[in-house]
Amino acid sequence: MSYEIREVSGAAIVALTGDVDLQTSPAVRQKLLESLEKHKRIVVDLSGVHYIDSSGVASLVEAFQVSRKKGASFSLASVSTAAMRVLSLARLDKVFTIHASVETALASQG
Amino acid sequence: MPKAVSTLSSTSAPREGGGNTTQDHLRLIAEMTREFTASHDYKTIAQTSLERITKYMSAEAASLFLVGDTGDTLACSACYGPVDITGLRISAKSGIVGRAVQTRQGTMVRDVRDDADFGAGVDAKTGFQTRSLLVAPLSIGHDCLGAIEIINRIGGDGLFNQDDLVLLETLARAAALAINNFRLTAKIVQQEREQHELELAAEIQRDLLPRPSSRDFPIHGINIPARSVSGDFFDIMPLPDGRIWFNVGDVSGKGMNAALLMAKTSSLFRCLAKSAEHPGQLLNAINSELCETNSRGMFVTMVGGLFDPATGRLVLTNAGHEPPLHFDLRTERFNPIPADGPPLGIAHGIAGPDGYPVTEIDLAGGMLYVFTDGLTEATTFGGGMLGIDGARALIRDHAEESPDLRLKSISGAVKLPGQSLRDDLTLLVVEDMSMGRPAFMPPPRADLMITDGEILRIRVPARPDRLKLIRAAVEQAAKFCGAPEAWTFDMTMAVDEACQNIIRHAYGGRHDAGDIVVDFVRRNDVLEVDLMDFAEPVDPTKIKSRDLSEIRPGGLGVHLIKSVCDDARFMPPPPGIGNLFKLTKRLPTNIK
Repeated sequence: MSYEIREVSGAAIVALTGDVDLQTSPAVRQKLLESLEKHKRIVVDLSGVHYIDSSGVASLVEAFQVSRKKGASFSLASVSTAAMRVLSLARLDKVFTIHASVETALASQG
Repeated sequence: MPKAVSTLSSTSAPREGGGNTTQDHLRLIAEMTREFTASHDYKTIAQTSLERITKYMSAEAASLFLVGDTGDTLACSACYGPVDITGLRISAKSGIVGRAVQTRQGTMVRDVRDDADFGAGVDAKTGFQTRSLLVAPLSIGHDCLGAIEIINRIGGDGLFNQDDLVLLETLARAAALAINNFRLTAKIVQQEREQHELELAAEIQRDLLPRPSSRDFPIHGINIPARSVSGDFFDIMPLPDGRIWFNVGDVSGKGMNAALLMAKTSSLFRCLAKSAEHPGQLLNAINSELCETNSRGMFVTMVGGLFDPATGRLVLTNAGHEPPLHFDLRTERFNPIPADGPPLGIAHGIAGPDGYPVTEIDLAGGMLYVFTDGLTEATTFGGGMLGIDGARALIRDHAEESPDLRLKSISGAVKLPGQSLRDDLTLLVVEDMSMGRPAFMPPPRADLMITDGEILRIRVPARPDRLKLIRAAVEQAAKFCGAPEAWTFDMTMAVDEACQNIIRHAYGGRHDAGDIVVDFVRRNDVLEVDLMDFAEPVDPTKIKSRDLSEIRPGGLGVHLIKSVCDDARFMPPPPGIGNLFKLTKRLPTNIK
């Protein structure tokens, strides 16, 4: 698993790649929460996620909850088939704001 | 309260140096605590401790009360002072001592006449006059074992003070621990005695079983008890005319009751077989005898038979027992002999007017296997129940071995060394050697695997960094079954989540706490994945899917597993395994 954080017009784009599982999700959680400290807008790019488990999903939910408290914006973008399968099984696909791409995410938050 | 005849200071020593210091207190506490823990003689230690406390506090008398079995009364188990009230019973619900027990609070009464709870009944009986009291409960955790009371301060101002109460409470706590230890020790001694008796019973029971048969004898049996005594039995009894009686029985229930009924039934079989003409008649007679005396709803299932080695024919009666298997070597098939009569010991004449029916079988050079459900219901290392198919496969697998070795091999397949069985296991074989020893050439091994369809088994340390390997194994196993990508993804996720639960909950997230075994078995169009750990058994009722209307991190794994699997449940783990969690998912119909 690897992650890359870049900043585009004040928003943090967190791109996750690889497997987000029990081994790697603590790092993902930490990165997401750190980004929320610095930015009012977070877009998580899930295009490169081959696998995400319940602990990975939990990290996303936690970040989403923190963003609501802070009044920050938090969305998912370009969600891979694998990640989408888990999100829909968890019935969280209706909870998160999901965008087709990072660009549309930025535009809508713009 | 207790104690009689107020006499004087032979029972009480003046406070050393006119008043005990904190140092004196500590010394006393230390010494008495040491004595409590070192001694194994409750009576003596209780007696000498009371004497010491009484003298130390310059009091006249002391007594120790213990709560009785019902909790309503307190009995004096030791005392010190002018009157012996050992054995005296008082209420545990009223009085000053009762109050200390109920409230778990120590109490100091400077003048009993001012305390409404004081009952003068004991003084009236003994002639002793109680003036002042100190009472401390014998508390241990939430329980109260009783109380210690100290009576009548002598000398000085004749009054107990707060220091005395604190000291008594401290000593009472140590005493409570000591009493608890005495009781536990006594319980262990009792258990050991019972265990010893059980072992003696087991030895007697083993003697009731027939000695191992010689190699060329046609009937052989084996019995492995699950506990020290067994509810299973078998017997082999040759008659002077060359025919041989045999039986295999299983008493409902386990433990000592079952063992005693087993002993009785097996004696009845031996005794009544001498005059019976065929097994139907014999089992009928045993049933009547058992019904005469049997109670408590226990019953016996039994297969009884009479075999004629000269002809290879046998007559069989099955009273509610697991169907024996006739292994016909000509056809290489198993013919089960179903139960045609009810179990023994339930009711007179229960088998109908004709009694227990008989079946005649020509073994035709083959074998008859009779066993208890301890074999078919035994758990294999793979996790499943052996079942009748598993039993048949084992019988085939070991067909070439000598009878004794074969019985050991078959029973050994479900009993791992050092582990005990869930149920008693008994297995008996009758071989027709009228045409020479049965010869059997097993067909190629591939058809005979018990775990037909075993794909892959891996054992990995239960650590988050191994989950990737486990997922790779699921992907490969699914690929091996020809499963499509989406199916594979779901199964991979389910196994991954189940393994996470093992790491986080069964092993409590401890690093290197143990291993996970993942076993992939295909049964027709179903892929079964058994997940086994070596942790303490978990309580499956505490594991629930989360409520999806409530959005919060965590608790999601079980929901994901249940969403994608056809079945996911804890199974009885085989010996040596902590938990067995089985995932089942049907493969898509279009794959081969």
